[in-house]
This record gives sequence, C-alpha cells and structure tokens, in this order.
Amino acid sequence: MGSITPDFRFGNFAGSIVQLVLVVVALLTVLILPIIFFTLFFVPLPVVNGQVLTPYLFFSMMVDPSRTLPIIKFLIHTDYFRAAVFPGFGFSALIAAATIFIERKLLAKMQLRIGPLYAGKIEGIFQLVADGLKLIAKEIIVPSGADKPIFWLAPILFVSTSAAVVSLIPVASGWVVANVNVGLIAIFGILGFFPLITLLFSWASNSKYPFIGGLRALHQMIAFEIPFFLSALPAVILSGSLNLSDIARSQNIFWNIFVMPINAFVFYISSLAELERIPFDLPEAESEIVAGWLTETSGMIFGLIQLGSYLKLYALSALFVILFLGGWYGPQIFPHELIPGASASNISLLKIFGLVGLYNAVTVNSIFWFMVKTFVIILLMLITRGINPRIRIDILLHTGWYKLIVLTFINLFIVLTLIYGGILGPGGMISPK
Amino acid sequence: MDNQIESSPGKNSIYISHDILKSLVEKYNTKIKIVYDKRNRSKIMVEPENLVETAIFLRDHYGFDHAESASGTDYPKDNEIEINYHLGSYSNQDLLPYILVLSTKINRNDPKSNSLINIFPSVEYHERETYEMLGVYFIGHPRNERFLLPEDWADIPPLRKEFRIKGR
Amino acid sequence: MSTLEEKIDEAKNLSMQIVKDSEEDRLMTLSVGPQHPGSGHFRFVIKIDGDYIVYVDPDPGYVHRGHEKMCEYRNFFQNIPHLERPVIHDSCNITYSYSLAIEDLIGITVPRRGQFIRAIASELNRLVYTEYWLAIYGIFLGHSTMFMWPAGDRELIIDLLERLTGHRVTHAFNIPGGVRNDMPYNFKEKCLTQVNYFEKRLKEYEHIFYNNPLLRQRTEGVGILSKEDAIKLGVTGSVLRASGVPYDIRKVEPYDVYDEIDFNVQYMKTCDSFARAYVPYLDMIESCHIIRQLLDKIPESGDVREKLLSNVKGPPGESFKRIESGRGALSYHIVSDGTSRAYRVKMSVGSFRNLLALPFLLVGSKLGDMPPIYWSLNYWPVEADR
Repeated sequence: MGSITPDFRFGNFAGSIVQLVLVVVALLTVLILPIIFFTLFFVPLPVVNGQVLTPYLFFSMMVDPSRTLPIIKFLIHTDYFRAAVFPGFGFSALIAAATIFIERKLLAKMQLRIGPLYAGKIEGIFQLVADGLKLIAKEIIVPSGADKPIFWLAPILFVSTSAAVVSLIPVASGWVVANVNVGLIAIFGILGFFPLITLLFSWASNSKYPFIGGLRALHQMIAFEIPFFLSALPAVILSGSLNLSDIARSQNIFWNIFVMPINAFVFYISSLAELERIPFDLPEAESEIVAGWLTETSGMIFGLIQLGSYLKLYALSALFVILFLGGWYGPQIFPHELIPGASASNISLLKIFGLVGLYNAVTVNSIFWFMVKTFVIILLMLITRGINPRIRIDILLHTGWYKLIVLTFINLFIVLTLIYGGILGPGGMISPK
Repeated sequence: MDNQIESSPGKNSIYISHDILKSLVEKYNTKIKIVYDKRNRSKIMVEPENLVETAIFLRDHYGFDHAESASGTDYPKDNEIEINYHLGSYSNQDLLPYILVLSTKINRNDPKSNSLINIFPSVEYHERETYEMLGVYFIGHPRNERFLLPEDWADIPPLRKEFRIKGR
Repeated sequence: MSTLEEKIDEAKNLSMQIVKDSEEDRLMTLSVGPQHPGSGHFRFVIKIDGDYIVYVDPDPGYVHRGHEKMCEYRNFFQNIPHLERPVIHDSCNITYSYSLAIEDLIGITVPRRGQFIRAIASELNRLVYTEYWLAIYGIFLGHSTMFMWPAGDRELIIDLLERLTGHRVTHAFNIPGGVRNDMPYNFKEKCLTQVNYFEKRLKEYEHIFYNNPLLRQRTEGVGILSKEDAIKLGVTGSVLRASGVPYDIRKVEPYDVYDEIDFNVQYMKTCDSFARAYVPYLDMIESCHIIRQLLDKIPESGDVREKLLSNVKGPPGESFKRIESGRGALSYHIVSDGTSRAYRVKMSVGSFRNLLALPFLLVGSKLGDMPPIYWSLNYWPVEADR
C-alpha cells in the first residue's frame, strides 16, 4: 500500500519492461551471438570421440544428454581447467573459504560462543560471502607517502605466490597442475618469496608498526625455513625423488610418519611459523604492534592477503599429507560403478546418472582420502589458535635455530641407518616396487 | 606458593601513634602542630621549611616508606593552600593500618613547596597532579608539567576555588 | 679565508653532528595508544632500540572528567552515581570507601545487615572486575579462549548483582548510611549456586591458561618488581602482593564486617609478571570463600540502611577511609566545611599508584614484554584519570 507511489501508472510500468526486453534482445543479436559464433567458427576445436567438436555438436549437448559426458571429460582434462578449477586455484580457494568458516565455528565452540549465525539460514553459512561483499565495498586507503606501485602489487603477488604453491600439489595420481621433477625444491623456492613480499609491503606502507612487523616476519621465516627444509629431507631420501607424486607413491606400503615422527612434528611447527598462525603470529601481534605488517591494509587488499594466507594453509597441510601421511592412499571405499550395470546397459539416462566414462573409482577414492587427511591436518593447525598464547620473538628464534634444527638431524640419522642397513628405501627389504 | 600466612594487624597502633606524635613534639616542639589524633589516623601540621626534615625523620625512625596519596586543598579565605601527604608503611608491621597525614600550608599567591620525591619516590605522580590541579610548584621535582589535563589547557588550575564549573 | 685549524674544527663538528644524528636514528619513537589495541584509554610514548625499550613516558588523561571538582558542587548522595563512573565494573567498591568516609564525617554506623550486604556486593563486584581484567590479560597475550571464557563467566555474577541491586553494571548501591535495598527473595540460595558453579569454572582457567607452558615462558621472570622496589614505589593491591608483601586492607585494617571473616591474604614471592597475573586469580578463589561465609553469617532480618536527610550535614573536619578494591587500596580523603557539600574530595586510586611502576618495569625490557607487563599492573586507565 505504502510502497506504490501516488503517480504510479501501470502502462508506464509495462512499457518500461517491454523496453528493457527489447534492449536485451538487441544486445544479444548485435553483440553476444556474433561473439559466440566467432569463437566457435574461428577457434580450432578439438576432437572428441572421433568427431571434431563442431558448434552443432556443442549446442546439441543441451538436447542430447548422451553427448554431454565426453565433452565434460574432454574439458576436465585440459590444462586450463586444472589450473583454474580442480586441483588449482578454484578448488583451493573453496577449501580456503571452508577453512575460514570451520575455524570460526570451531573456535566459537571452544570458547563457549556461537560464532557466525545470521548470514544464511543455516548456522551463518554465508558469513564469508557477506564479509567478502563488505570488503569489496570498502574504501582502500593508501597511506600518504606510501610507495604506491608496491603497495598495490604486494597483495596480488601474495595471492599469486600462494596459488603457485598450490599448483604443485598433487591431489591424486596424475591430478596436479604442474607435474615437475623438482616439485619439493620448487615449493621451498616459492615459499621463500613470502618474506620478501611481506618486507616490501611493510616498507611500502611508510608506517612504523608495519615496518616492525615486516622485520619480525623476515626474522621468523628465515629462522624456520631451515628446519622446514631439513624435516622434508628424509622423505626425499626414502623415495629417491623430488617429485611430489613420486614421494606420495613411495608410501603405498607404510606412511613416512611411522619412520620419522620427529620430523613430522618439526614440519608441523615450522609450517605454523610459516603461516604466522597463533603461537607464532608475531608479525601480526595485535597488542604489541597493532596489526603488524597488515596495519595499513584496508578493504580488498586485506581480503586478498587473508585469501593468500589461507591458500598457503591448505598448501602446507597438503604438503604434510604428501610427505608424511601417505598422500592419497587409503582403503578403497567407493564402488567400481556408481550405479551397478550402468556401463553395460543401453539406457542413455542411466549412463548419464552413472557418469559412465567419467567416473573413476580409484581417482575419486584418492581424492577423498587426500581431502580427509588434509582436513585433519588443517584442524590440527586451527586448534592451536584456541589453546595457546603468542610467544616472544627471542623464544621463537631460539626455538627455530637451536631446537628444531637439532631435532631434524635425529630423524635424518635414523632414516639413513635404516637405508644403509638395507631395510628401507629404493631396493630395500620393505620397498614399494 | 605458600599462601598460608597470618599477618598481624597492628592492634596497638593507637599507642604507636602516641609514640610518634610525642617524639615529634619533643623534637620540634613549637614548629609542629597536632591537628587531630583519631584511631589509626593522625594529622600533623608543619612549617613549609620543616617539611623535608620531618619527612626524613618519619622515614628513618618509624619506617614510613610510601605515600598513599598527596593532595592539596585550596583555602582562598586564608589565602593559603594546604598540602597533605598521607604517609603509610608496608615494612613496619605495627604501622600497617596507620596513616599519618603530614600537612603544610603555603602562600596562595606564590605557591611553592619542597618536593618529597627524594624521600618518598611514590609521590611523583601525585605531586605532578597537584601541580597542574592547584598550581603548586614543587621545588626539586623533575617534571612540574601537565599530566591529566588536556594539552591545550589555558585556564587557571581547575581545583582552585575560583575556577567554577559552567552552569553551577 | 679560513685557517687550517678552523677547517679541522669544522670537520670535527660535522662528524660529531653525524654521530649524534645516527644515535638518534637508532631509536624509533612509538606512540602506544590511545588508538592502539594494546593500550586502553591511555597513551605511553616509548622509544625502542631494536627490540629493547629505552624510554617510556606515560601520558594519561584521555578520560579525565574532573570527578574531584564535580564532588564539590553536589551533596553527598548526588555524588554516588557519578563517582562509580571511573570504574564501572567495580562500582560497589569505588562507592564503598566514599560511603565509609561520609559516615565517618557524619558519625553514624550502618546497621549490621546492611554491612553484610555491602560486603557481599563488594566481593561480587571484585569478581566481576577481576574477570574482565583477566579477559583482557588473555587477549593481550594472544590467547583468545582466555578472552572469551572470563568475559562469559562474568555474566553469572552480573546476573546476581542485577538481582541484588537492580542494575547490571553501574549499581549505585552503596550509599552513605547503608545500601539502597534489602536482598531479594531467594537471593541466598541463588548466590550460593552461582558461586559454586563459578568456582568450578575457575579451576578450568588454571588448566587452559596458567599451566600453559607457552604462557609460563612468556611471563615468568619478566618485569621483575622486587619487594624493595615495590615498597619504594608505593604500589598497591595485587601488584604489591605479587612482590611478596602480604598487605591487604581487608586484613590489616578491617572495615565493617571483615574482622569476623576468616580468609587468607594471597601473595607470591616471585615478583614477576606471572605472579601479578596469578594473584588476582587466587583472590577470586578467596572471594568465593568470603562470599560463602558472609551468606552464612548474615543476620536473618533487620534494617539495611540508616535513614538520612538528603542534604545531611556533618561537623567540619576531614576523613580518610580506604578499602581493598580489585586494583588495590582505594581511598577517599574528604574535607568538609560543615555544609551539605564536600569542600574537597581527593580519590587516591590503585591504578594511579600502580602507574608509577610502568616506566620502571618497561625500560630495558623487550617490546614483546610490553603487554604482559603493562596489563599485569592491574591498571584501569579510566580510574587513574578520574
């Protein structure tokens, strides 16, 4: 009643809707259809199932469901899909979002709170969307005297560097964006960029607290880089390869954590320090240096850095699983066919729902177990935040340089003894091949 | 952590105060005036030039080791400002509940007094507050400057009686 | 034309200048507060040399409201609601010593049941204040669970105080002559249940916070205020007791009913930041015992308040009364000239006295030690500013 304005005319309303429809149709004819045709006619299209993927075939996908599956199968094996969607950025960003939500809920339960509740009907499930919208809508304030190019570039660098780490992580046999033979070294090399980005950003902010935070981050990451690398070394020796897929495959008999528990512990502690998570969040220590190197961030710059750090959290947890927890190996719990007898039958609808040709029981099983293990490690990393205070910079450096490095050598010697004794390793008594 | 202790509150502190006051009167006879002597509280009034001397005597002979408070009161009728040091003791077990008010009166037009900061370091901030609230300059205090008031305070010291709150 | 000597002198001066500049450049001046998350309504300017603090200058006064001046314009009862503003979490204690001082001036005594209710409200408020303080101590050290737990458990006691006084935080309950209201129906049983549950929760704090090895590493041996220094600086309350001086005004100069209560003065001899964080916790446990005894000994019926005229006058004179608040001795020095208004009111609060230890402890410590030292001093900025 009150919502209709006094000068409302139904004719005007209908007329405006007709006008809108006409504009949309005109745009479709003049712009969008030519673009689609240009793409489909002039881009060389691949061969699917012995046929060239013509525009006719592509559009018939909507009409004939039985032709859908081969095209999807083709699409998910392209490099673009891998980099952008499944083991790459999109998938890990989704996991990062889930991690943020789980962290908030888990911490809330530990602290006798409720956590996010109102955004989204069920338990505040859309809180992250709301936060993201808020961050996008916020003004980005650049401090006066800041080094503007670096100030704008650093968050993007942070996210892309994290995504680069993620691209080296295999989630199942053959499912990796970049299958390089020096995967482990590449990961450590890329992780070495983070202190640089932190220091550049804190220097570019032209403020005192970010500067102290950046220096702290530099100290901390350098101190923990060495035990981090040393703790991964015995895994390389045992598998005889630096390729992450090979390291995971070498553990199909036993997991590395049974041989080198101390190294797994050191790796866990060092990755907490790499991630700047709670006992080691000195670069962002709130009560000492405001927000550390993030003090001058605002709006989506802050959002990007948060996204990057949670991508990094996923990448390091996945690396822990690959190095110590046997990668994707686990008992086969998925059936060989999604619907029994679907591949033999002639009913096309059954084939589509059975995902015949697309569904691979071993791969799905691998991905499932990999995700289960990764989430356990992510939870382990989250739970420290609820039970620990922050430690001091001198204790942190002492821990890194004096204790963790020494601890890694203990397990290195154990592994070397086992290898020279001919028990483990390539050609040993218990070896995967 | 042994928490079980029986601290002995000075049951006989009223006699202790008699002791202190008697010895003070013996030492400074006319220069000192006993204002009141109640249970656990007594107040003595000394001349400004004897303030430091009396404080040193109290600290050295009776173990008064800290000031609970130091404040001033403005008396425009007598053209005087009275400065009170509430002295107490943590180390002398008999004096635990006892507080001695050491007072002096100074001229309101040229308010200057000797600082007790070298005898009782605990009066540092109290004296600084008295300086800005009543305008008393403490000779020997390292920082007679602004403390609680705004940085751009340009009025008379606010606890002087002629400073009126607006609307009252 | 300058001679050679002049040129040499010039060069020397220049080099001296350079040396001086570089010495200055080593230090970085940080303004901690008033918008710093680790300061409160308070600022201290610090200079750091690398990670070490070399200079500290506290600058309070951001919330100075002139309560002492305001007291000179209102009668004794009108002062109550604004006097509890400096520390609203401890409002029953900050008005307690004021009421004691006024009663001393006028020369009346509070009915016995009123004294007991006052003591109960005072102890409950001590719990509320200490919980809040402990929550902030937790978050200053980055322990977010220790922030949420005490802040949540504080609600239990706030509920009790709401039943007793009618307000959640600013109670205006203690007035000269007694307390405003009698205890509500069934308050005794409710109070006992809540306090018993609260004691169970207190034990869990020990598990998650005080026994945490990282916390111990962080606070033990940090910010040592020796017994001699503590006495010299005249600190009070938990800071003094953590330095090994068992000085509690409830024990050394019992006011109202505290001489009938059996309790221990909690103190520690380690003198460090951990001790200063642990003594208030022990005090909370002791407060629970005291509340139980008070509820046990309270007379079944009787007046709770000595009726006074609203513009009551006392003889000219002065009074100095103190009580043990959550932050230590809280004393009022009230001068009356025989009218219905105070001639001069001076509040000597624990926060203001403990502030003196801040520069003393911070100089020479590390930047990371700043939050545990600063907040362990039991400093409430609003109370210190008055």
